[in-house]
Amino acid sequence: MDCREYVDKFLSAHADGELASRERRLADSHVGGCTACRTRLAEERSLKVLVRQHTNIVKVPAEVHLRIRAAIGEMTDPNFIGRNLSTRGQDSDRRFLWPMRQTHVWAPIAAAAAVLLFLAVYSGRSGTPAPATQFHPVPVFDLAIIKYDSLTRYFVPNVPSDRNGTDFAWVMDRRDSGQPDAGMREDIGRSYSEADMPDDLFNFAPTGYQVSGGRLDRLTDGRPVTYTLYRGSRDAILDIGLKDPEMSAPVGAVYWIGMHSFYEYKGYSFCLTLSSPGHFVSITLTRAPLTELIRDVAMADALATSDDQ
Amino acid sequence: MFEQVALPHLDAVYTAALRLTHNSDDAKDLLQDTILRAYRFFDQFKIGTNCRAWLLTILYNNFRNNCRRHTREQLAATVEQFDHQAETRSLVDDPPLRNPEELIATRMAARRFEVVLNSLPSEFREVLILVDVQELNYQEIADVLEIPLGTVKSRVSRARAMIRKAMLKAAVSRGKTGS
Ligand SMILES: [Zn+2]
Repeated sequence: MDCREYVDKFLSAHADGELASRERRLADSHVGGCTACRTRLAEERSLKVLVRQHTNIVKVPAEVHLRIRAAIGEMTDPNFIGRNLSTRGQDSDRRFLWPMRQTHVWAPIAAAAAVLLFLAVYSGRSGTPAPATQFHPVPVFDLAIIKYDSLTRYFVPNVPSDRNGTDFAWVMDRRDSGQPDAGMREDIGRSYSEADMPDDLFNFAPTGYQVSGGRLDRLTDGRPVTYTLYRGSRDAILDIGLKDPEMSAPVGAVYWIGMHSFYEYKGYSFCLTLSSPGHFVSITLTRAPLTELIRDVAMADALATSDDQ
Repeated sequence: MFEQVALPHLDAVYTAALRLTHNSDDAKDLLQDTILRAYRFFDQFKIGTNCRAWLLTILYNNFRNNCRRHTREQLAATVEQFDHQAETRSLVDDPPLRNPEELIATRMAARRFEVVLNSLPSEFREVLILVDVQELNYQEIADVLEIPLGTVKSRVSRARAMIRKAMLKAAVSRGKTGS
């Protein structure tokens, strides 16, 4: 090995400890007998130090650290969601104006609610029965926001799944009746129902949101959780479904329709839906204004109930 | 498990995100997306391998897939531009510096080093930072950047040669070194 060969082919890898043992022996033996190359090797190592010294590792800002830990904590603390909602339960007895969803019974009510809401929303009058109140942090809503932010950016649907639960495949060319996502909602709903989760997805199609996909995940305690994403032209709606016998609505709701209570929280609009028979909870959120979410949910409800007749 | 294995690398991953996006808001988003994605696919991480390299692979993938390329800084010159600045000499013909540490003896030299490092064409600066700051091995860098191992090797070597040449030129022009 001559000096040129050493410098061109070995020097950097030598300094980085990347030479295979045979190469390394050759390189060591050349450097051992060549002052110039020994100095070059020392320089090369000094350069490594210089690069490190001039390229500081930047600390992650504390709030980002917290957000990330919170997002992960959702999975690692099985009681997190239930505990945080139920602590506020006793304050909110007035949260339900109507009984839990009995789909076939209260269709006219939902339809009427939709009409009322349209009027309220479009006439600019407030139909709100309670004033918007300042309300305390609701950790489960914070977590829902984190989920919303990540899932609207990267949504990887995993239902419908094959029997092994590994693959997913849409039936894209399913016939539809004027509602492009009807088939997809059916497929996702079937997958959810196989996991004993609520299978009645919102139909937001008339308000411009198409279902984008569904995910069925598990919390670490084994409880299933569903994520259904709907996309509109400007934003998205995420629905998170899980089972929690302890959960009740936090105080601070600004509107109710049936078992849906609505919140404005940190720039997001929330709809919390509790259904007593299965202890299911659905947290629906979007960045769109609350009036739009109320309208969309009312509309979806009205459609769901009229479809059933 | 995820917390113990992955979260210690948060700062390193954030630093890489900052270098890619040159914008702390984008870097925060990119970091969060990367960590949540890593969490979701943690079963694909091979225990015992370098978690930082795995996280950086996800980071670079996210960046490639989701960020518009033009958000990258344009500081990076081409190799030709960089070489034009430094005198073109054969690597071997370069005399060794009498004392390499001399280069950081003054603030001038330190600033000079930063300028040189930051004006390296980005693909060269990138491998240097991955090897010297992130302490990845060549194979891990090849995986992160999705380039052949041989390319990593030659880029590292070339990058250091370019820096050395530029520093040497600066030193010579200040009469700091003999020969
Ligand atoms: Zn030699």
